[in-house]
Amino acid sequence: MTQERILVIGGGIAGLQAAAALREEGFRPLIIEKSPATGGHVARWDRLFPTQLHAREVIDTLNTATDGIESATGQEIVSLQSDGTGVTALSATGERFEGRAAVVATGFDLFDARLKEEYGYGMYENVITSAELEAMFRDGKVTMRNGEAPKRVAILHCVGSRDEKVGQNHCSKVCCITGIKQAIELTEAVPGVQVTNFYMDLRAFGNGYEELYRRSQIENGVTYVRGRISEAGETIDKRIQLKVEDTLVGRPLRMTVDMLVLLVGMRAPKCCSTFGLPTQANGFFAPRDPYTQTVASTTPGIYLAGTATGPKTIGETVNEAVAVARRIRMDLKK
Amino acid sequence: MDFGFTINAPRAIYLDKIDPTLRDKIIARERTTLLCIGCGSCTATCTTGQFTSFSLRKMQHLIRRGEYDTVRKSLQECMLCGKCRMVCPRGVHTRAVIHAMLEVL
Amino acid sequence: MHPGSPWFFDPFVLPFSIGVLWLFIAIVWKWSKWFAGLPREDKALIRHNFFTARTFRAIKEAFLECLIHRKIWKTNPMLGFMHMSLALGWFLLIVVGKLETSAYIRDAVNPPHVHVFFRYFFPEEPAAYIRHFNYALLMDCLLIFVLCGVALAWGKRLYSRMMGMKRTTRHTPFDRIALTTLWLIFPLRYLAESITCGVHDSGSFFTGGTGDLLASVLPGGVLSAMEYPAWWAYSIVLGLFFVAMPYSRYMHIFTEIPLIFLRAYKVKSKPEGSTFDNFQIQACSRCGICLDPCPIAADLDINNIQPAYFLRDRRYGHLTAQVADTCLMCGRCAQACPVGIDQATLRLSSRVAFARQSSFYEAPRYEFLASTADRSEGTGRVGYFAGCMTQLTPSITRAMEKIFAAARVDVWWADKNGGVCCGRPMRLSGNLPAAERMERYNTELFRKHGITTLVTGCPICYKTFTQEYKELQKMGIRVLHHTQYIAELIAGGRLKTSTLAASYAYHDPCELRGIYSEPRYVLSHVATLTNAESHEKDRVHCCGGSLANLTLDTAAQKKIGTTVVHNLLATGAETIVTSCPQCKKSLQLSAGNDQVHVVDIAEVVARAV
Repeated sequence: MTQERILVIGGGIAGLQAAAALREEGFRPLIIEKSPATGGHVARWDRLFPTQLHAREVIDTLNTATDGIESATGQEIVSLQSDGTGVTALSATGERFEGRAAVVATGFDLFDARLKEEYGYGMYENVITSAELEAMFRDGKVTMRNGEAPKRVAILHCVGSRDEKVGQNHCSKVCCITGIKQAIELTEAVPGVQVTNFYMDLRAFGNGYEELYRRSQIENGVTYVRGRISEAGETIDKRIQLKVEDTLVGRPLRMTVDMLVLLVGMRAPKCCSTFGLPTQANGFFAPRDPYTQTVASTTPGIYLAGTATGPKTIGETVNEAVAVARRIRMDLKK
Repeated sequence: MDFGFTINAPRAIYLDKIDPTLRDKIIARERTTLLCIGCGSCTATCTTGQFTSFSLRKMQHLIRRGEYDTVRKSLQECMLCGKCRMVCPRGVHTRAVIHAMLEVL
Repeated sequence: MHPGSPWFFDPFVLPFSIGVLWLFIAIVWKWSKWFAGLPREDKALIRHNFFTARTFRAIKEAFLECLIHRKIWKTNPMLGFMHMSLALGWFLLIVVGKLETSAYIRDAVNPPHVHVFFRYFFPEEPAAYIRHFNYALLMDCLLIFVLCGVALAWGKRLYSRMMGMKRTTRHTPFDRIALTTLWLIFPLRYLAESITCGVHDSGSFFTGGTGDLLASVLPGGVLSAMEYPAWWAYSIVLGLFFVAMPYSRYMHIFTEIPLIFLRAYKVKSKPEGSTFDNFQIQACSRCGICLDPCPIAADLDINNIQPAYFLRDRRYGHLTAQVADTCLMCGRCAQACPVGIDQATLRLSSRVAFARQSSFYEAPRYEFLASTADRSEGTGRVGYFAGCMTQLTPSITRAMEKIFAAARVDVWWADKNGGVCCGRPMRLSGNLPAAERMERYNTELFRKHGITTLVTGCPICYKTFTQEYKELQKMGIRVLHHTQYIAELIAGGRLKTSTLAASYAYHDPCELRGIYSEPRYVLSHVATLTNAESHEKDRVHCCGGSLANLTLDTAAQKKIGTTVVHNLLATGAETIVTSCPQCKKSLQLSAGNDQVHVVDIAEVVARAV
């Protein structure tokens, strides 16, 4: 019996785990990844919340699990069609992929912080994004542009999340805890650094998150100010001046820091509008229903896993990837 | 009954005793005031806020608690420039809220 | 009933005559009330300009606009013809009819009903007919001319797109009476005249021909029995029309004429309001030409706030704050208006009227400004006022810093560390005293620093500095928006730029209406400009972010901006460029993703410096 081929679009952690699980279920998965290598956003991260596990370890586990599975990298899928008996995907380079079903594990894009012009990202040299800070952690060197270690760092939550002014009304779910984690890691990486987190609401909802939050305060001395920065300016010596209201004290607060880290949120990638599948208000793909059909799309033969349907943690993503393989097995048996 | 001391002004806001008329009028005029989560962006960016203790965040919440007098005092400080609206992440139509307060209060 | 009595009286002329008398009294009453109520300075303007060439220009304009409807022709030729045939046709029927009766009646007494019902009183051409000019033929031609207009008006009700209109106005009850009677007047006149001509075998080709036809198909007695009722019916609809007219949109016929003259004498509407506003309000014929250009109608399907409705509500006294406040004041409607009604000022005066009801209106404001420290910096003679909005778009200020440095301009930075609002957003909300307080503060600040040029980064500030800051001119301060300033720097050779290999589509901010050549000069100097004629300059669609709007939420604004983004990207440009921080933010929100970038003209120039 020839095994049925399932297309897995996206080679991030959702795609990798889905492919591994699909093989277990007796299918022949094909991973199609747009970048030259698989691993997605997680492969570019240093350590993960809540236990500060190295992201590399997650990737290594998934790489082992997908060993031997076919993959096509450097192929960005631009269209996806299902005719009920099979699916066809076309890549930007004109390549055609066919399979019995497809798993859309296309993930998310990071919000482009330049759209929040008032924070000066791309303009002021010491305003960076959380992804860039993570890259600094990986390189083992957290510095300002001039090479010096920062003495005061501000982390701003909700940049491109819960912000209707940039068309992003949704909560990106993982940034609060990422901000807490990065604050801790900053104090570990730069001895003596003062870290202040500016937030609207702190949503430390997951297992171990609240504990990490407490730890950041009591062990690492991270300061939390409840207020959203409205504007940032650059001083002559390239430091960053912040304008914020300390809402708990009820007074405007002015502060100068050496570095401003913007916790950029998750936004729906372009494919969400080109695949022709229904999307939710937040722009991500809509599952058939959010209760019992979270990994199926409304189109037969097309399935969804991970952050393709909205912001999720790594654990949730990996679980969905396992679930999608099982869901496909159940549906195709019928 | 005299316990030997008096309370001049109540410290607490008695939500079950407030007069909601003006509050409801303002909400009816500009419903987006309900969206405020008090992030303080408006107050941080406020043109008037550079000079006075004016805070739209506080005002909106005071209205919701029926504390109209405090709002009346600072309402006329607003310049209606609209910066607050540009930064509000929740889409409160801040200028319309002020406009409604000016008319209702 | 027959010529003999110089009064040519018959009971059926009563409805008409009463209507005319009523209309005459109503017009005299309205005009005199409005004229008497004009502010003293406006009356002085009229006295001063009355015996000047302005009067002749006004006569010419009244002829071109009230009769020919020249501006409507430009909007749509068929619509223009419809309005012209009704207005000019009716006017000529009256004039030629009057000449006709004067030719036949030697008496000094010649009341208006005689020429209106001429055919009834002179069923057969008198013996003198041959010697005179062929009036019957001319009157028939004019009647056909008017009937064409009536037919087109019927057609417009059925299918308005025929005349290039997607939307037509909804009517008030009085409008309906007036409209129905107006539509009946000329068909009934045609019928009555034809019957009389048929009975008496007279008349020219049209009424006479129809009369012959009627006489041939109807049995002898029927036609003559129909004659008298037909004239009654004609008189009644005329009378009804004239009675309804002062309350209906047709009051515009007699209001536009004094409006044209007053405007020629430089009388203007004021934010505080005056009786002159009535001339503007009642000059609106609710033709509906303002409906289609309105972005709020086009994108949001809100169809009760456009000038036709706003002026209607204000005229009949049921204007709500919601209607007055829902407007971007982008000026598209005013630009399209064939009567040239200054709707922005009228809307502002309505907002002022609402604001006055607040206890805060006259309250002393901003007393803290008296003790506010001067936060400006620099010593240059050229002042730069970024404005509130530009503080949220630091890339514009950065670009200006670079441009000023490249052109070696010494700058005084008015509000780098925060300033006081220019006052326009407050003014647009109707709170004039509050706005004036801010205006005074900034004026004094400019005076204190002795600047000679004031460059502003925001068109909103620019508009108010040029319109409301009267002192600046006296102080010899030139006010320029940065587009104009950069254009001067480039033209004067003070700013050397390279050419960028990029294409831009330029969005004209509403508040920079009229400043079209400078941004185009600057952009084509440094890059490729790809604008499309149909969506630029006077025809530009608002970005949606206008501060004049006091009601629309972000979702609504975004929808309006999406139209702009769509229009601009359709030109093939990679990047959208504008010259207003508010437009920049709004358009970026509508553009939605990071594929399309919206930049300010200063940023483009700075890149090329």
